[in-house]
Amino acid sequence: MITGQNGSGKSTLLHAVMGRPDIAVTGSIELNGVSIIDIPVHERSQQGIFLAHQAPPAIDGVNTMTLFKEIQKVQNVAGTTGELIKTTKALFNWIGLPEGWEKRQFNNGASGGERKKNELAQATYLQGKTQVLLLDEPDSGLEQSSRQKIIDLIEETKNRNGCVLLVTHDLELQQRYSGNQLDLTRA
Amino acid sequence: MRKVYLDAESVDLTLVPTRPEYEYVFIQTEGQCTAKFDLTPFADTKFKITIYIYAEGTSSVDCVCRLNVPQEVSGVEADVQIRSWPFDRSKIRARPEMFIANSDVVAAHGNALGTLTPEQQYYLATRGIADYKQLIKESLLNA
Repeated sequence: MITGQNGSGKSTLLHAVMGRPDIAVTGSIELNGVSIIDIPVHERSQQGIFLAHQAPPAIDGVNTMTLFKEIQKVQNVAGTTGELIKTTKALFNWIGLPEGWEKRQFNNGASGGERKKNELAQATYLQGKTQVLLLDEPDSGLEQSSRQKIIDLIEETKNRNGCVLLVTHDLELQQRYSGNQLDLTRA
Repeated sequence: MRKVYLDAESVDLTLVPTRPEYEYVFIQTEGQCTAKFDLTPFADTKFKITIYIYAEGTSSVDCVCRLNVPQEVSGVEADVQIRSWPFDRSKIRARPEMFIANSDVVAAHGNALGTLTPEQQYYLATRGIADYKQLIKESLLNA
């Protein structure tokens, strides 16, 4: 778990691991003992690094279901289109997103909480392939009942010997995962 | 109502809108396309028309969407929107035109370029997607 004041670089650290191009990194970042410093963002994602964004954007012109189809293709997730539609509908329903969410343009007109739920839905969809789960304040803007889903996601990743980097201001989550805490001091 | 044109050469549509919403999608991967829309609604008609244009390679699309409301036609509420995604070296010329002779008309129009911001491109990359051109095309085809 990563803690620190606002502006201390918690989110920047997660984006650096993800490979955001405008973040200069000195030192090294390794995945399974191999440097990924020169690997572009999309390839890091395909290698199993998943970032649940703090403020995911809306993408006008991109249909939500089509985006999931593309994710299925590039991440090599097994299943037919029919199965994918069934799975994503069930995921959106489970996470509490409104009926017909899959037909909407991506995050278009969505509230902050809905966007966060969409991130959790994607994280859950890819959880079997995720080695490193980066969660940037996944609980902010969400109702209490969603916290358990975040905990389930973290526990499932840990059970597969995956790595989780969690940035959160949620006291319950902080207490729960206080054993492995990195406190960033303001630079 | 939704209609998709793939690599069309010439589309000339004269439309009397009776439905609330129309969507036309142009996917141009090669050659040139000329699209002309002539909309002449009846009185008290409310409708929205959205034209999506995707072009790639060296293709080009020239699109005009004209709304005609003569003096004797009142109570029209019209919204004409054009969204364009030009990729590679393609060219899109698109314009909505309005010829309105009646004062009891509400008409809106928009003409937007649908590029992805660096933030959106980064987001898609974090999902493993580098070819967002294909994603836009698929989205327009399958919406």
